[in-house]
Amino acid sequence: MSSWFDYTINGLIIGNVYALVAVGLALIFGVSRLINFAQGSIYLVGAYIGWVAVMQLHTPLPLTIIVVAAAAALVGLVIERFGLRPLQNSVRIAPLLATIGISFVLDQLVMLTFSPNPRALPSQLPDVRFQLGGGTIGPLDLLIAGVGITSALLLFVFLRYSKLGWAVRAASQDRDAAMQMGVDVNRVNQAVFGIAAALGGVSGMLVGMYYNQIDTAMSLQATLKGVVAEVVGGAGNVPGAVIGSLLLGLVESYGVAVFGTSYRNLFAFLLLVVVLVLRPNGLFASTRQAPPEPLTGTFIAPSRPLRIPRWALAVAAAIFAVLPLFPVSFYVLQTLINAWLLGMLALSLTLVAGTMGQVSLGHAALLAIGAYTSALLSLTLNVPVGLAIVGGGLMSAALGTLLISPSFRLRGHYVSIATLAIGEIVSLVILNWESVTRGPIGISGIPPLTLFGYDLISPSSVYWFSLAVMVVLALLQGRLLTSHLGRSFRAIRDDDIAARAYGLSLNRYKSLAFIFGGFAAGVSGGIAAHLYSYINHETFNTQQSILALTVVILGGLGNVVGAIVGSVALVGLPEVFRIAAEYRILIYGIVLLLLVRFRPQGLLGTI
Amino acid sequence: MTSAPEALLALSNVNTFYGQAQVHFDLSITVARGHIVCLLGGNASGKSTTMKIILGLVKPRSGEVTFDSASLIGLSTPQIVRRGIASVPEARRLFADMSVRENILMGAFVRNDRDAVAQDLDRMLTLFPKLGQRLAQRAGSLSGGEQQMVAMARALMSRPRMIVMDEPTMGLSPLYVDRVLELIRTINQDGVSVFMVEQNASLALEIAHEAYVLQTGKIVLSGPARALKDDPRIRDAYLGGSEAA
Ligand SMILES: Nc1ncnc2c1ncn2[C@@H]1O[C@H](COP(=O)(O)OP(=O)(O)OP(=O)(O)O)[C@@H](O)[C@H]1O
Ligand SMILES: [Mg+2]
Repeated sequence: MSSWFDYTINGLIIGNVYALVAVGLALIFGVSRLINFAQGSIYLVGAYIGWVAVMQLHTPLPLTIIVVAAAAALVGLVIERFGLRPLQNSVRIAPLLATIGISFVLDQLVMLTFSPNPRALPSQLPDVRFQLGGGTIGPLDLLIAGVGITSALLLFVFLRYSKLGWAVRAASQDRDAAMQMGVDVNRVNQAVFGIAAALGGVSGMLVGMYYNQIDTAMSLQATLKGVVAEVVGGAGNVPGAVIGSLLLGLVESYGVAVFGTSYRNLFAFLLLVVVLVLRPNGLFASTRQAPPEPLTGTFIAPSRPLRIPRWALAVAAAIFAVLPLFPVSFYVLQTLINAWLLGMLALSLTLVAGTMGQVSLGHAALLAIGAYTSALLSLTLNVPVGLAIVGGGLMSAALGTLLISPSFRLRGHYVSIATLAIGEIVSLVILNWESVTRGPIGISGIPPLTLFGYDLISPSSVYWFSLAVMVVLALLQGRLLTSHLGRSFRAIRDDDIAARAYGLSLNRYKSLAFIFGGFAAGVSGGIAAHLYSYINHETFNTQQSILALTVVILGGLGNVVGAIVGSVALVGLPEVFRIAAEYRILIYGIVLLLLVRFRPQGLLGTI
Repeated sequence: MTSAPEALLALSNVNTFYGQAQVHFDLSITVARGHIVCLLGGNASGKSTTMKIILGLVKPRSGEVTFDSASLIGLSTPQIVRRGIASVPEARRLFADMSVRENILMGAFVRNDRDAVAQDLDRMLTLFPKLGQRLAQRAGSLSGGEQQMVAMARALMSRPRMIVMDEPTMGLSPLYVDRVLELIRTINQDGVSVFMVEQNASLALEIAHEAYVLQTGKIVLSGPARALKDDPRIRDAYLGGSEAA
């Protein structure tokens, strides 16, 4: 039986662990205005290096900590030097996307090296518990607290008394002015990435020991929790990140005490969204103004899009349309069906992220809403499948827009964080709202696709159906982009202040973009549900959101044809080259990195 | 230019672009050793960009920038600062959350002689006596005039051979404007060359040795400050009558 005292201790300990991650994020954000989405991967790497040290090198605990810190720091330095420094003069979104790509690559490398199966990471500490107040406390709790406090002290001394520490502080307040004092910003970046990685790595190791288990799913969760804590404390604010982390730890722990374990993350993300909406500068900032972000216009690489003549598009569509009439294998059709479904999601994202400039990292949630709506409509209310899919699209449009609307005043990075959090919330609500969604069991026995009473069972009919839906959506979106509405979207993306000065209502246009985009994604999710016949809360996950983003960048942000070309390329090429499934995510990560570095405008150019 | 003393800083035929837009057209400016040189010009004429070119914050597409006869092209900002150029940026750009003391000491970032730095800090407090009581205060909480003093003290702390200043009198009350100009003259008399950007031509010409007038990226007028002050063209082209001194 656990007492409130235990929950408090547990909250503070977990908070301590989050703090180690969040402080690194805050340091990096301070200096380079970048949310480092690879921070969780370093945490993961730290945990596995800890495992290697403990289980294979049999290092004593103090040495393990040092080994983990040093090795993780090295990874951080490599990321900074080769992943981010070359992007210094690129568009503002480039480093953010690069860290996402890096995190995919690192996670997959760890998974390929160590297999995805969980492993035990013993702490080497005696298993005793001391009675204290109304509860108990163990040596590992003390170790985590000790590491947390020691790190905080070291960091304080570094920032306050060392020359490099002064440079870090100066650069985080005014990068250009610091350069004019002779501060070498590259060295500062190196320092903060090294420190952040060391802290993150140690944090991952400690968590592994705390639960005596490590697995590759830790990475994304750590990034998310670190980001929550950092934003709650005020992005770039180092002491704020510590307090935000402890707060997050306590909120989660008490939430678990009252509602149960599966609610832990829900509380974290709700806290994030509430803070983002009410106090986007963090709990400790004095002002309620929108956080500093570059104008969204500089956020997207400008380019001259490749013009593809209409007849060529028509020919391409015709070729794909007649393809099933030829003796192509089931496998080819299956692959292309996947491409068309991803294409619909990419159409949605390219509109929201490219045309409107709202880089969403939670787009898979729209799939999930559409899929669950369509599945439940057809299963429980016996709505015909075709209609249920439309219902899924409408529900995605409505609910997606409703959920994101409180965040409409956010810009740049903060939009990405908010959408990421909302995506997680959707998946957690699906998990916990058992009476409707059947919770962790998922929904099985979803009826197959039918249209006007005809079953679409054969692969060719499913192929035609999904191709047709995608083409219709693409044509509609093409019309939209050349209309007055499309121009308004781009005007807001390029300079929202000027757009507002011309009398454009930002909220209305952002809503319209999300409504249209939500519909396309919801339809895609709906079709997928009836194809898969089984879905659960993990069917549509963050990996798909990132895959969609990679597709959209590959095709060229805002580019309708590009979104489809990107989908076919990313779904098709791994099949053509028969790349094993476990290497695919790795390849997507590398593609994203290469694109960001060498061709941010994508294959067909941004519009 | 009269019996040209040795040039400390020289920009020759600089062309600068932001994307497609050209900001400088064959810009050539010389700052003689020991002189105060002033760059005048209206809004968006490219004055601040000139400062950024000197400091290496913006790279010119073509042209040459030399300091003490050595090219600055290709050097990073910190490297340029280490050559002996300090700056008082537009809108001062203090480190708002650091104390006044820390701000001033940040100016000595490129130096490693701790004792001499401590002495220089004392010297700044005699030059800017008002800052003495403010040392522990957050720089962001100072008044505009006080911030200007900190920015100047900070620039001097690197013991520069030249200071570049972007509109040092902007937004200051008349009392502070006079004080700042007087300080610039004092600094100059101690042997520091000064290159400053100003919109307030009549004031700047009071203390400058030479001046240049920039109009949409081109130098349209230049010469000794004394001559320019009475030049009807500067009154017509730039002062527009409103600044009748
Ligand atoms: N980073 C930038 N990117 C694109 N254009 C810029 C940038 N900085 C300045 N410009 C443009 O270059 C031109 C010159 O700007 P600059 O800041 O040098 O003018 P200025 O003479 O200092 O003006 P002010 O008197 O207003 O300070 C302006 O048209 C400005 O809009
Ligand atoms: Mg200016």
